[in-house]
Amino acid sequence: MSTQQQEPESQESPQDPEMKGTESPQQRRLKEKQEGMVDEHAEDEAEAAGETVHIKVFRYDPEVADKQEPRFDDFHVPFEKGMTVLDAVMYARDEFDSSLTFRHSCRQAVCGSDAFFVNGSQMLGCKTQLSELEQPVRIEPLPHQEVVKDLVVDMDHFYDQMHAVEPYFQDEETPDASDLEEQRQTPENREKIKMSSRCIWCGACMSSCNIAAGDNEYLGPAAINKAYKFAMDDRESEEIKEHRLRILEQEHGVWRCQTQFSCTEVCPKDIPLTEHIQELKREAVKKNLKFW
Amino acid sequence: MSQSYNRGLIEDFGRWKEFSAGMWAWIFHKFTGWMLIGYLFTHIAVLSSAIAAADGQTMMLAGEQVDAYTGTLQGLESLFIVRVLEVGLLAVAVFHILNGVRLLMVDLGVGLTAQDKSFYASLVLTGVITVASVPTFMAGVGL
Amino acid sequence: MAERYSSFTPGGTAWFLQRVTAAFLIVVLAFHFFLLHFVNHASEITFAGTQARMEDVGYFLTMVLFLIAGAFHGVNGVYNALVNQGLSGTPKKVVLAVLVIAAGLLIVQGVWVALVMRGMI
Ligand code: HEM
Ligand code: HEM
Ligand code: HEM
Ligand code: SF4
Ligand code: FES
Repeated sequence: MSTQQQEPESQESPQDPEMKGTESPQQRRLKEKQEGMVDEHAEDEAEAAGETVHIKVFRYDPEVADKQEPRFDDFHVPFEKGMTVLDAVMYARDEFDSSLTFRHSCRQAVCGSDAFFVNGSQMLGCKTQLSELEQPVRIEPLPHQEVVKDLVVDMDHFYDQMHAVEPYFQDEETPDASDLEEQRQTPENREKIKMSSRCIWCGACMSSCNIAAGDNEYLGPAAINKAYKFAMDDRESEEIKEHRLRILEQEHGVWRCQTQFSCTEVCPKDIPLTEHIQELKREAVKKNLKFW
Repeated sequence: MSQSYNRGLIEDFGRWKEFSAGMWAWIFHKFTGWMLIGYLFTHIAVLSSAIAAADGQTMMLAGEQVDAYTGTLQGLESLFIVRVLEVGLLAVAVFHILNGVRLLMVDLGVGLTAQDKSFYASLVLTGVITVASVPTFMAGVGL
Repeated sequence: MAERYSSFTPGGTAWFLQRVTAAFLIVVLAFHFFLLHFVNHASEITFAGTQARMEDVGYFLTMVLFLIAGAFHGVNGVYNALVNQGLSGTPKKVVLAVLVIAAGLLIVQGVWVALVMRGMI
């Protein structure tokens, strides 16, 4: 792959010690780590005894000369019961290489910031037990998105697609506050949209989707699921539902889904994405048949 | 974003081993569909010899003078390689039909949780039907 | 407003017709294979045999419908596959035109052949 990196501007200004390319403290640390850390035999034994976990982490940084060509770094992290992939990369960052970069926040599968490509599949770092993975555990940034640095990918396109489906409740008939009326939803209807409302915008589904990889305009599973949540909500009026279906039934909307189920398989919140997309396809066809 | 790294297509093609059932089904359905439409064009071309036959054109087949249509079709059928290709075509068509039924069910929202099992079932059934048809397809042709 | 409601959006129509033709093709393709391999062996196909089958209006119509359904289903499938791969802009229009023409020619040629087989031309 041609990476055609230009020299970052900052590298030309020697005043900035962080940016002096090969001499940066970061790289000195890296070198020390590589020389000092790995005593292969000892590591192997520790791993066999289940005391450490071997992780291979994707590294890339356009601002450091050594890392402009992506590579994998090996870390041997002391294992603890209940340790997740996120725990392991956090340990590696805190103890071995503070330049290791990735997003995370809640550590309990609610914020959706730490979806990685782990051993060839999209997973939430904080929800994936190391004990369930084969070693060495290969940790990469999400495929089909540009890598900004290490495990951090550019999520802009994903967010654009999410916003394209107008992911907010719309209703002209909101009862006047002075009437003290509530906008009730039946328990059945709540149940219907329950799963779709669990999305945490992690982007795992979009990254796993073959079609989204090829067709940049495809809305993608998460956005369609988001639209499902509102389209199926009875509290929105019929006209708004139609408006939503019109967005979804464009050429690059629901029809691009090829029912490969890859999104459904990777979604950390177990949302039946394919099922929702299929239901919307049928809704769109039904709606159009009605107006023939 | 000042700079970013695009890992390119390599990540799709290098990782075929990590494909799951539904993704394989998609690839196979694609492949068989393209074979079938390709065959349909060839098929109509071959059958077009009927136009010549209706015009009274004839040709030689195994020392006999026959009409152009019969001659073309039977001539093709007497070739071993054509028979092998026909078995291949049957396999392709059977898989496309069975997986097509699976896809139609998926479209109707039936049995979504068994989508991987129904793909494996399509594969196995295709194999069985193809093997069972070999005697019929190969009847009366020598190597 | 009116045209917005009555227009059956392109994506949706094609998707729907792809399923409808698929359901039809299941039946006729299976029938076709069965008839021309197990009932009549493929190697014993003759012009006379074909003519005799095509004499039957029902069979003739089935074959023509088979042809049209197959051509639409196959060509639309190919088009879809290309759109899935991100085909857009002018190349997309060109591909669509080429595919429509190819399918058109296939159908015209096929119907002509079928009419000849029936002895109508
Ligand atoms: C000065 C006192 C407090 C401060 C500064 C504070 C601050 C916060 C903050 C920053 C959050 C996170 C907000 C968010 O997730 O959007 C939070 C959440 C929460 N706090 Fe407090 N809090 C205080 C007192 C309390 C008290 C007294 C209670 C219980 C009686 C309480 C119950 C909660 C609960 C249940 C949540 C979770 C809400 C959720 O999940 O959305 N907090 N608090
Ligand atoms: C090797 C297997 C096949 C054989 C031996 C075969 C043979 C024939 C024959 C002999 C005819 C002329 C009609 C007749 O005699 O009754 C015919 C027509 C036709 N076949 Fe096949 N066929 C095969 C597979 C297929 C497949 C896989 C397709 C679909 C992709 C197909 C599509 C058609 C169509 C559409 C016609 C009608 C042609 C027209 O209307 O001009 N056939 N086939
Ligand atoms: C016999 C019954 C058939 C069934 C049930 C069937 C079913 C289907 C379905 C459901 C799809 C759409 C897949 C999707 O969009 O997710 C499809 C695609 C396709 N079919 Fe068929 N089909 C049949 C026969 C045929 C025939 C006779 C041809 C060729 C003339 C054909 C060629 C194709 C092609 C080219 C595609 C597109 C494949 C791709 O995605 O690249 N099919 N089929
Ligand atoms: S649908 Fe699931 S996989 Fe996709 S963004 Fe939402 S939580 Fe993540
Ligand atoms: S850190 Fe919030 S989802 Fe994993």
